[in-house]
Amino acid sequence: MAIGSVLARFGRKKEAVADDAYYTAGQMALIKARFKRKTTGVVAAWILGSLVFMGFFAGFFSPVDPTISGADKDYRRGAPQIVYFWDQNGFSLRPFTYTYQKEKAKIDLKALAGGGLDALDALTSSGALSSSSQNKFLVDEDKRRYLQFFVKGWEYSLIDLSMAGMDLDIRWDLHLFGVENGQIHLMGTDEDGKDVFSRTLHAVWITISIAIVALVVKLFTSLLVGGVSGYFGGKVDTVMMSITEAVRVIPPIPIYLACAVALAQLDLTSVQRYFAIAVVIGMLDFATLGRRLRTHILTERNQDYVLAAQLCGSSTWRIIWRHLVPSFGSYIIVDTLINFPYVILAETSLSFLGLGLTEPVNSLGVLLQKAQDPDIQQNMIWQFFPVVVFVFLIMAFVFVGDALRDAADPYAEKK
Amino acid sequence: MIADFIASTWLLWILLSVGGFLYWRGMHSQYFNYVFSRYVLALITLLIVSGIVFTLMEVLPGDCAEKYIAYKNTQGETITQADIAAERARMGLDQPLAVRWASWVTDLTLKGDLGFSCAKRQSVNLALGERFWLSFMFCMAGLIFAYIIAVPFGILSAFTINKDWKDRNPQHTKAERFVNTLGLSFNKLLDLQLRIISYLGLALPNFLLALSIILLYVFAGEPTPTGLFSDEWKSVPWFGDNGFEFGKLQDFLGHIWLPIFVIGWSATALQLQTVRALVVDESNKLYVDAARARGVDGMALWAGYPVRHSISPLFNSVGFDFQRIFNDLPIVAVVIGLTDAAALLIEALAQTNDQELAAGILFLVALVVISMNFITDIVLAAIDPRVRKSVLGN
Repeated sequence: MAIGSVLARFGRKKEAVADDAYYTAGQMALIKARFKRKTTGVVAAWILGSLVFMGFFAGFFSPVDPTISGADKDYRRGAPQIVYFWDQNGFSLRPFTYTYQKEKAKIDLKALAGGGLDALDALTSSGALSSSSQNKFLVDEDKRRYLQFFVKGWEYSLIDLSMAGMDLDIRWDLHLFGVENGQIHLMGTDEDGKDVFSRTLHAVWITISIAIVALVVKLFTSLLVGGVSGYFGGKVDTVMMSITEAVRVIPPIPIYLACAVALAQLDLTSVQRYFAIAVVIGMLDFATLGRRLRTHILTERNQDYVLAAQLCGSSTWRIIWRHLVPSFGSYIIVDTLINFPYVILAETSLSFLGLGLTEPVNSLGVLLQKAQDPDIQQNMIWQFFPVVVFVFLIMAFVFVGDALRDAADPYAEKK
Repeated sequence: MIADFIASTWLLWILLSVGGFLYWRGMHSQYFNYVFSRYVLALITLLIVSGIVFTLMEVLPGDCAEKYIAYKNTQGETITQADIAAERARMGLDQPLAVRWASWVTDLTLKGDLGFSCAKRQSVNLALGERFWLSFMFCMAGLIFAYIIAVPFGILSAFTINKDWKDRNPQHTKAERFVNTLGLSFNKLLDLQLRIISYLGLALPNFLLALSIILLYVFAGEPTPTGLFSDEWKSVPWFGDNGFEFGKLQDFLGHIWLPIFVIGWSATALQLQTVRALVVDESNKLYVDAARARGVDGMALWAGYPVRHSISPLFNSVGFDFQRIFNDLPIVAVVIGLTDAAALLIEALAQTNDQELAAGILFLVALVVISMNFITDIVLAAIDPRVRKSVLGN
């Protein structure tokens, strides 16, 4: 209903419309209207939404199986295959790529077999064995491979709830795009022939799901600590707050590291490991939100509206759930969204050091780890594609969080 | 005898005498009473920190006895399970956790002894030594770098807020309005750039930034500035035959900027936003309007009112900024190849499982953060009238 008229009220140049919609609009409608005013936030939200969407349906959007079974053995260390619309052979409405063939290193086996040291010297100095020469592929420009949309390909699980205890695993084999024969590698392949583009898409969702689990765990710990501390007050408050303070002064990454090392000896599967890391990151991050919650509950307990509710005969339970928690709800939502990048950074830092998730799991931290390899820096620069996606993802989160923080602030209109 | 006793428990006496002095002064002065309570609180926090760190280190696999035995194994002796048990009993590792923690804390408070590093076969104090100071210097330099950039630019960025009225002030002539609009647009552009930089600082984690810089060097075909010295200067002592080696200093400065810039980067981004938000918040308050009504204008208004009042919350957060910077240092140390305490921490945690060393480093960092918080608290209470009033009451 009201979004249009509420928006009109917020519009800069338009005259404020005195209608009931603005005065009767709920908290969420107001936040939504204020959020829509901020262009950067809206753009970032769209980018973020499409990234997360593509990550969630990664199987559908990725043309190649990201695991080792989908690795292209004939196109290891291959460069990105660029999609063309026209070349010297003419224009085509359908995008296409070319056929690639591995360039065979010219090794004169006869001369080598003859025991010629000169031949060996020539071979080593020619660079035919160096890692950069392994990236060379012959491009056959006359053999076009046309891009096709909605093709059948490798099978993936669209929705897999078997982990949550339900025996539900919907499998599908339709993909957004592919090529006629063989595979297409939009962002090239790594040294095993695994498609970088597909791996990145799968990694986005894994990383985000770690962050979601971590933030849920964090929310529960902070609610518990902050709630108990604020509700009981007094000595309980003093003890809990001094423990929180102590947790706050220790740098978190070394603690994550210690926990990751401790987890490493437990012999977990990669899925269990992944949840354990998320739980650890979430558990140890309660200090800031816990403190805020405690302060909020301590101050709000004495507010007039609580008194009014008490005079109306509300029970304590109702006051807490219908008045106190909703009054802090928008802050919790915003704080959770703002904390997304930091949780993602914690996971990537751990994986980057080789202590979080490890190959062959596709997480952004695992893919970023490769950026440290000098061979990749010099010969396979396309493996930095996950880095770009990572920066985009974090930026989008930061912008959306920022816009949302402004939108959720009820005093924002004064500025 | 007594001198020996006092000498071996020197740290305890220092702690006690500082506490006693503060308590004595606190009997007559409200301010020192507050300082004394902060002092006790800091000591309690330290105690809890030591407990947390000690419990955490217990989850690391392996213990000192096993490492000692493994060390002996390399010396050519064959060791049985019974030997390990005997060694464990000798080192007191069969005691419950609380007893060992108590003895660790006692050693620490009596003599400032952080224990014995099992993997390094030397005491933690010795193993850390100057490496800790190196890390400390890195963090301080990163902190100073962040503040030097973030504070002025954050304030500048906040200037652009609430200036739209200048565009359409009817008292101004057309030319004046044009100049105002031009200046305002310039300011807004600067603000936008600063915000983009600060967002990038959040989005580009330290290790990626370090990697990108190293990558640029690789592309340019120049030697990368990793480590603390280049190979030619590594073994040269600071004071050689021909006096002080300025070449080494030059080489050192050529390498040191990279870690400082990298660890200062995200702190700068965060500080920039904090300063901006603080100044904007303060500039909307009534006392600023009141000062404006009294005719205070321009720089005097900004420097005297909102900026001045934004400094104290900023100053208050120095301890946690230090913690945040140290938090990033281990990963940067791995990427750049530093040999400071942070690198040692990674080594102790991830490679050698050296609990004592890791606990020592973590405890020292917490100690620095807590001392910084303590100092900022008491300094603020002494100089900021608002804090003083709220702390000392009435």
